[in-house]
Amino acid sequence: MSYCVNCGVELDKTCKACPLCNVPVVNPIQPVDTLSLAPYPKEKGQVSPAIHSDLAILLSVVYSATAIVCGVLNLFVFGGSVWSFYIIGICILLWIFSVPAFIYTKLPIYLSILLDGMAVAFYIGLIAYSFPGDGWYFNIALPIVVTITAFTNFFAFFNRRNNSSILSQAVLVFAGIGLVSVEIEILIHRYFDSKIYLTWAAVVLTCCAIIVVALLTIIKRSRLREEVRRRMHI
Amino acid sequence: MKEKKFTNTTRRTWYKLDLSANVYPTLQKKSFSSVYRITAVMTDKVNPEFLQKAVDLIIPRFPTFNVAIHKGLFWRYLDTNHKPGPFVMKDISNPCMPMNFKSENGYLIRFYYYENRISFEAFHSLADGGGALYLLITLAATYLNLLGHKIPIGNGVLDINEAAPEEELEDAYIKYASSKIKQKRSQEKAYRIRGTKEEFYTLNIINGIMPVDKLLEKSRQYKVSLTEYLNAVLIYALLEKQKLDNPFRERPVKLALPVSLRRFFPSNTLRNFITMIYPTIDPRLGDYTFEEILKQVHFYMRYYLNDKFLNADITTNAATQQNPFIRIVPLFIKDIVVRLFYTRVQDKQSTAGITNLGMIETPPEMHKYIERFDVLMGQPFSPRTNCAIASYGNILTINFASSIIESDVEMLFFRKLVKEGIPVKIESNKNMEVM
Repeated sequence: MSYCVNCGVELDKTCKACPLCNVPVVNPIQPVDTLSLAPYPKEKGQVSPAIHSDLAILLSVVYSATAIVCGVLNLFVFGGSVWSFYIIGICILLWIFSVPAFIYTKLPIYLSILLDGMAVAFYIGLIAYSFPGDGWYFNIALPIVVTITAFTNFFAFFNRRNNSSILSQAVLVFAGIGLVSVEIEILIHRYFDSKIYLTWAAVVLTCCAIIVVALLTIIKRSRLREEVRRRMHI
Repeated sequence: MKEKKFTNTTRRTWYKLDLSANVYPTLQKKSFSSVYRITAVMTDKVNPEFLQKAVDLIIPRFPTFNVAIHKGLFWRYLDTNHKPGPFVMKDISNPCMPMNFKSENGYLIRFYYYENRISFEAFHSLADGGGALYLLITLAATYLNLLGHKIPIGNGVLDINEAAPEEELEDAYIKYASSKIKQKRSQEKAYRIRGTKEEFYTLNIINGIMPVDKLLEKSRQYKVSLTEYLNAVLIYALLEKQKLDNPFRERPVKLALPVSLRRFFPSNTLRNFITMIYPTIDPRLGDYTFEEILKQVHFYMRYYLNDKFLNADITTNAATQQNPFIRIVPLFIKDIVVRLFYTRVQDKQSTAGITNLGMIETPPEMHKYIERFDVLMGQPFSPRTNCAIASYGNILTINFASSIIESDVEMLFFRKLVKEGIPVKIESNKNMEVM
């Protein structure tokens, strides 16, 4: 048997170091037993995902009933316009937002965000079908939805890969807000005036840039980072 | 699916949550559940097939464990679970994992085996450690019977062929809460251990194994009980830790100590029947020697541990639960308020949790098959350490469960015991990397 020279406690024969003070076991008479099983298992358990299939069925029934009833009412009772399109669209949108995550709990987050983005694009497409305008859907709405979906996916990827802090997440969010607002203004001006210039988006971009630079400085300076953490802790 | 045996008395199919049980699901989140574990360390390697058979045999005898938790409009409730399970599983390195109420077929209990260990985990809304211990001892006895040994009923082993009597299923809080006064709930904030949080649901266990006779001899020297002695050692370790932290403002060191009310009220319930007391030392009053800490803890416990004080405590909680205005508040609002109260007040008024299951009794015929029992209090709600004590025969185990990387408190605690002349053996699930 080996004892910790620091703590004076007897250690399990498989222990390489004292679990209390981390001092390594050095015992020439009885070296650490690497062949015997440790007192505790090594395999880590995973929490089983919750199964919400009943809720998924209930939601599917509610959404489809709402969509069908509204469609029938639009056809036979309250005709005149295609108002039921919006409700049917909302039902499809909500179904895509909620149900796949309930049925398939291991759905990758990137695919989930992509599906959500497609659902939003589809719903705006339905509105564009009723009010085609001058191609606003393809010139403004769709590029914005694509950009926001891509940015959200990038944000999810960044968080998963880097296990990032709140500060670095904030950097990404503010940088994203600045760039998306620039894109929105450019698209609007190109659509209405066929020119590319910035007005309000320049103000947003400047504010975001200042915040991003300030946050990056805080992240880089460890003392400043600790100070912010101390003062802002929740 | 195996047919389950349901007898007349198990016709009752749903149960209101008792007073303590109502709090635990409110605190439930993706990374936290109030789950504790009791382990029987056998002398021989465990046979999982026989263990599963034993689980199947005993579960109908414990109807309040054979349940799933559901939400009502105003309160949660426990409903008899007819789904397949629970199934015994190979043990894991991170015990007391959070429990999803909707997974594992809704069961709120888990059975594990590893080499010669049988471990039982339960969600705290079902029962306290005292109630759960009956299930584990009955399971161990049934398992040994299946292996061909003869284990009689009694001394913690329940008869699995008889139905659960109503008194085992009762909410004993409501039955015995009869005090005319109510205790003050909120107390002063206590010192809180600072440490680096472990990654998602990692639970560090440090288990100290020591002989009961040496500890008894030591506590008799100081003229205190064994629990008082160990509480004092933990307070001593926490005071030392606070000194090492060198805080700007010192705070009192308080232990949250669950007390089994079965000793004070004649109840046979297997559900929750505990209340908390808070032995405290305030270092702002001056430096305490170990002997002074012992004296303080000794007189505190002698003063508070009686049916009058404890009744006033449970009456406070019962009055809240039975208040007609509180009863009609929808569950989601209750959840918000209780959670807020717990995180802002309750959680901050203790430094560490410590529980002592005491001397565990089994039929003498089981002694040669069981080496010892280990208890784990489970993951603490906030990053700190929890301590659970159990003794069997001449072996006492003290299990620290913590969700922080540093083990300063454990180190100070066990070093103090070693200095006091108690031989301590340490086992841990920590992955020790030699520098």
